[in-house]
Amino acid sequence: MSVTDAFLRSPAQSVAEPSPRPSRLREGLLAACLLAPAFVFLVAFVYAPAVLAFALAFFNFHPGGTATYAGLSNFHAALSDPLFWRSMANTGLYALMMVPSTLVLSVALAALLQSNRRLFRFAQSLVVLPYITPAVGTAIGWLWMYNPNFGILNALLRDVGLRPIGWLNSPHWAMPAVVLYSLWHGIGFDVLILLSAMSQLPEGVLESARMDGAGPWTRLFRITLPLISPTLFFIAVMTTIGSLQAFAQVYALSLSSGGPENATLTALLYIYQQAFTDGQFSYAAAMAAMLVVCIFAVTALTRWIGHRFTFYQ
Amino acid sequence: MRTIGRVLRAALALALGLAFLLPIYIAFVTSLDRPQDVFVYPPHLVPDWNFSVWVQTWRGNTWMLAILNTVVIALATIAIALTTTVLCAYTLVYIPFRGKTVLWTALLAVLMIPEQALLIPNFVTMAKLHLVDTRIAQIIPYGASIFGVFLLRQHLLTLPREYHDAARIDGCGHLAFLWRIVVPLSRPILFTIALYIFIGCWNSLIWPLMVTSSPRVQPIEVLLSTFLTQDSSNWQGLSAAAMFATLPMIALFVLFRKPILRGLSKSSGING
Repeated sequence: MSVTDAFLRSPAQSVAEPSPRPSRLREGLLAACLLAPAFVFLVAFVYAPAVLAFALAFFNFHPGGTATYAGLSNFHAALSDPLFWRSMANTGLYALMMVPSTLVLSVALAALLQSNRRLFRFAQSLVVLPYITPAVGTAIGWLWMYNPNFGILNALLRDVGLRPIGWLNSPHWAMPAVVLYSLWHGIGFDVLILLSAMSQLPEGVLESARMDGAGPWTRLFRITLPLISPTLFFIAVMTTIGSLQAFAQVYALSLSSGGPENATLTALLYIYQQAFTDGQFSYAAAMAAMLVVCIFAVTALTRWIGHRFTFYQ
Repeated sequence: MRTIGRVLRAALALALGLAFLLPIYIAFVTSLDRPQDVFVYPPHLVPDWNFSVWVQTWRGNTWMLAILNTVVIALATIAIALTTTVLCAYTLVYIPFRGKTVLWTALLAVLMIPEQALLIPNFVTMAKLHLVDTRIAQIIPYGASIFGVFLLRQHLLTLPREYHDAARIDGCGHLAFLWRIVVPLSRPILFTIALYIFIGCWNSLIWPLMVTSSPRVQPIEVLLSTFLTQDSSNWQGLSAAAMFATLPMIALFVLFRKPILRGLSKSSGING
């Protein structure tokens, strides 16, 4: 580092590092030592396996522990496997139902629950609570609510004069039932970050709109929502990614089968079944690789769409 | 007119909030009903307070062991992950070094890699290390918490820079500054991170399901899922078991509502 460089550095920085040259090296070493523990874990369980995951798909493993090069055969097998396509279609359908309903419901709930009064804060807590509860534990209550004969949902339908639904027993209704459960379980997080975004809005804008005679609906749709569009965009991206990775909810609600008639067999559940029920590691790895590519592609697309419709202050 | 609107809004908010509690409440009622009140139409909504199913279910399976396993796994993960998190976030904020941007990008990239893609290779690693069906296998993959690093880094960036400068001028080294100033000032956020790791361990399903096979080392959610797939018609037993897994999390939420909510609302800044 030259003398001029030392002059050009900001005063705060030069105070923080009183003697540049020897301490630079020392600090570099110290930084390496302090970062090492985290990176040992990250390399071992994130970076290396991410590379390995793709490599695994190009080999076939045998019980003896040997592996033979398989080329693209695992990918070919997956692409001609009707169940793989079915599981991908189910995953897409799930995401298509989840994303819009999450956005609409979380905005509606946040608008309703936005208040600092005790009762509203209590209601906010009740909406968030399911988010931290275990999926299998709470799925049991839902399985009971979805029971076609004795469940409360069909009791309600009968009360209002509608025909009862087969819910998880019906190939037609099973996926919407899973969506309803997932909304219940996850929407608290979205409501909470919306509430936190709304509380940070500039007071003046909403106040002057009120002065100018804008009603609550106008304020919500014309001011609040455009101003929090980055948060809405964040929710859309996170829900999309989360939906494409749906596992615990379908595992619990279909008793690990993906039924009825494979109606709730998501990609990840099928990959899990192939890998750990049938021992087809390489085949599962090839499908996982394709799922990851899909997730990346959809995320990139969502980001591209989002940036066009998002208003940044 | 105004007051009616306000009362209606409050009533609607309360009703919706309680509706979110309903699925848990239904399992609660079913688990505490007398057997003749379970299969009835319309559904029973007030429990009979019959605890015999709880006792029976508790004795019929190794719940205590599963809860102990979960707590041991969670505490070990918290100890390791908090240590790596503190060291990593401190370095990112306070120590200048070459390649910080590259490192930061590498950390951001972790958020883009779906955890599920890593399950199979990680299973292969555990098999190679002879760690399949152990508690260690459920701990070490979570030894670094990206969520923790981001949350703590955000917090450290809000601390006044002058603390650091003053400490350095007084001859206080990095490690002393970290231990005496940064850690005490970050206690609330570290507590929030620890809570999230605990909740994550309590609720984790897919990885323990893959990497374990014996109840000796399995956490509660796995035991519950085995029970569910094997005994799916025993509604009362299942509901009681669901309470064993869910009530501790509800208690945690009641006790630590504020730090939990704080962590959730701050986590939106990670990607945005």
